[in-house]
Amino acid sequence: MNRRQFIKRSTMACAAVALLPGHLPAQAAEKAAKPASSGASGAGASKTSGKVPAWVKSMRESDMDGLGPDGKPDPNYRATGTGSSVGTKDPQKPHKMKLTKEEQGILDGKEGETKAKVMKTVVAFGNAFGATKLVKLGGAPHTSLYNAPQFMEPMIKVFEKCADEGLKSYAPFTVNPRPYDLYNVQNSPHDMAMVFEGYPLQPRLEYVLMRLGARDFNSRSCMCFLPEIGNAPKPGTMVAWAESSATNFGNSGLGLRTNRLACGMELMCALVGKAPYFGLMTDEGRMATWVIDVKTTKEPDWGVLGAAIGIKVTEDVPFIVGIDKYFGGEITGENMHKLKAMGASTAANGAVGLYHVENVTPDAKEKGRKLLAKGYKTYVVDDKEIKRIYDEFPNLWGKKDAKPTRLFLGCPHNTYHEVVTWGRMITEELKKRGQDKVALPIHMFVSIPVRNHVLDDHPVLVRDMKRAGMNFTNMCTLMFTGLKGFGEREFPVTNSNKTRKYSSTRYFPDDVLLEIAMTGEIPKGAEVA
Amino acid sequence: MAKKTFKGRPLLPGKLKGKATVSKQPFNTSGSYFENMFAGVTDKAICTDSDNKELYKKDITNCILCTPQTIGSSFAGATIMGVKEMGVGPNAMLFSRHIDSISAAGLIMEDIWNETRIITVDLLGDEFLEAVKTGDPINILEDGTVEVG
Repeated sequence: MNRRQFIKRSTMACAAVALLPGHLPAQAAEKAAKPASSGASGAGASKTSGKVPAWVKSMRESDMDGLGPDGKPDPNYRATGTGSSVGTKDPQKPHKMKLTKEEQGILDGKEGETKAKVMKTVVAFGNAFGATKLVKLGGAPHTSLYNAPQFMEPMIKVFEKCADEGLKSYAPFTVNPRPYDLYNVQNSPHDMAMVFEGYPLQPRLEYVLMRLGARDFNSRSCMCFLPEIGNAPKPGTMVAWAESSATNFGNSGLGLRTNRLACGMELMCALVGKAPYFGLMTDEGRMATWVIDVKTTKEPDWGVLGAAIGIKVTEDVPFIVGIDKYFGGEITGENMHKLKAMGASTAANGAVGLYHVENVTPDAKEKGRKLLAKGYKTYVVDDKEIKRIYDEFPNLWGKKDAKPTRLFLGCPHNTYHEVVTWGRMITEELKKRGQDKVALPIHMFVSIPVRNHVLDDHPVLVRDMKRAGMNFTNMCTLMFTGLKGFGEREFPVTNSNKTRKYSSTRYFPDDVLLEIAMTGEIPKGAEVA
Repeated sequence: MAKKTFKGRPLLPGKLKGKATVSKQPFNTSGSYFENMFAGVTDKAICTDSDNKELYKKDITNCILCTPQTIGSSFAGATIMGVKEMGVGPNAMLFSRHIDSISAAGLIMEDIWNETRIITVDLLGDEFLEAVKTGDPINILEDGTVEVG
């Protein structure tokens, strides 16, 4: 089995939840419906075998299966987010980080039993990874605890206990996008029923997040660091972020310091305002063990480049050279989407939590090639390599030669620049061709503040985009692709390599997508430009 | 079979005897418990990860899981907590390599918040995974020693 051909669809088990009982065979549907309404913990009281909805098979895959191209376990595989451990195998001397008097006091219960448990959790986690200490967090957290199928109840209960004891995040935190959009996307009775049945604990989760200090729903986005949302601390700030694409850009594009945290652990850190110091938070952990030498003859396709890097380096830190000319020496609102696309793709196709771009990203600007670890490896990405990677993207549509049914733009969420650029491209092309509307529904995944910014500056453009058939939603793209039966009835295309990786959505370059938007057909010989 | 002994790091120590359930490829936690997460099954756990050639459709109820690391969604931590509360989750997780951050979060949170220990030993070495097979008798000691056979 070739790993690259290995079908990898959504890794987020929760995406499947939206599809719960509606389309199951009657008996299985009843059984599956019971847990959602029983209020019992876990999956509910039924002890008999239910049927797993057919769609969940698309939920199995991860961004890393640990298998090599020959289908055998890859001996070099390392899972995400691990740092090296200084732990010893001597059970008499397990690794223990040094705590300050204040931290020890919290652990001893001086600020209450619940906070002691939070501190115990954070310390135990840090000790497992050889953390030498806890560090004070700055900026604001970002959580990926954003959707609530029934099995999430034990996790939700933990945070309800924290909220009941009055614990709060050290700063108002941002949250991943909504898992559904009952206004712009799932607004048919059928889809709404699936949402309500699939996310029975969603109101409880939203309430507890609010009590713990979450910012309001308008700020819900995986692109929490955009100026319109504003969770963009200064370079060097220690933070506790979850959500792979946010962590990836935060570490790389903003120069923040965070490990890739599991959903739930980032909130634990937020409640004590501290995180264990290991891995990507340390200077040593941020050293690059790869040089990615980009030698393409023109601007590379950023999503494909990210895929190439992610596949090659897995979770190592790459130092990318040869692309600074596309950034003019700094990351701006007009070019950050390139790093967004590339970085999200490295995190989805591999497990990259940090990359450096020579002369562009904060760490690289400050330290240059001093960031290269001894014995680093080199990977050359030229036109041929870009084409090879692109050509290996599998067509996972249920009907291989189907016509595209939807066009998804924005995973992670679009920037202001992307919305305006796509809006202009599409509306101008329509005008050129004498068309009123696009040939298939186009979904712009974008946060509300960014959409409002575009509306404020370009009201006529937004009007024209809507009239043309472009739809704005602030939900999570992957939750949309995780809808029940989606893969059987829908044949979507996208500009996001992250969406491609985690779903059956097919990836095409922008010029091909523009043609698809106009004609509804994939042009013959569509390939990387 | 001759007994083989391996020494690992006892992250969540405990004593347990049982039979090994082995996944030589990294175990996809979220992908393996779908019936429990979505179909209301609470009396047993049958592995639902069809990409896991060794464990697919095998009974992994209360198993002693032996694997290099876990992979998959960052929600896997919550999955571990969910299936443990149902009573079908693993009784122990034995990692040949360093534990990954995702399962570490779930195992630690389950231990501290629900006072339910899933015995966890990592850094047992690749030789451990090469030696152990599903069904082999396993004896886990509190100091991180794992006896196979």
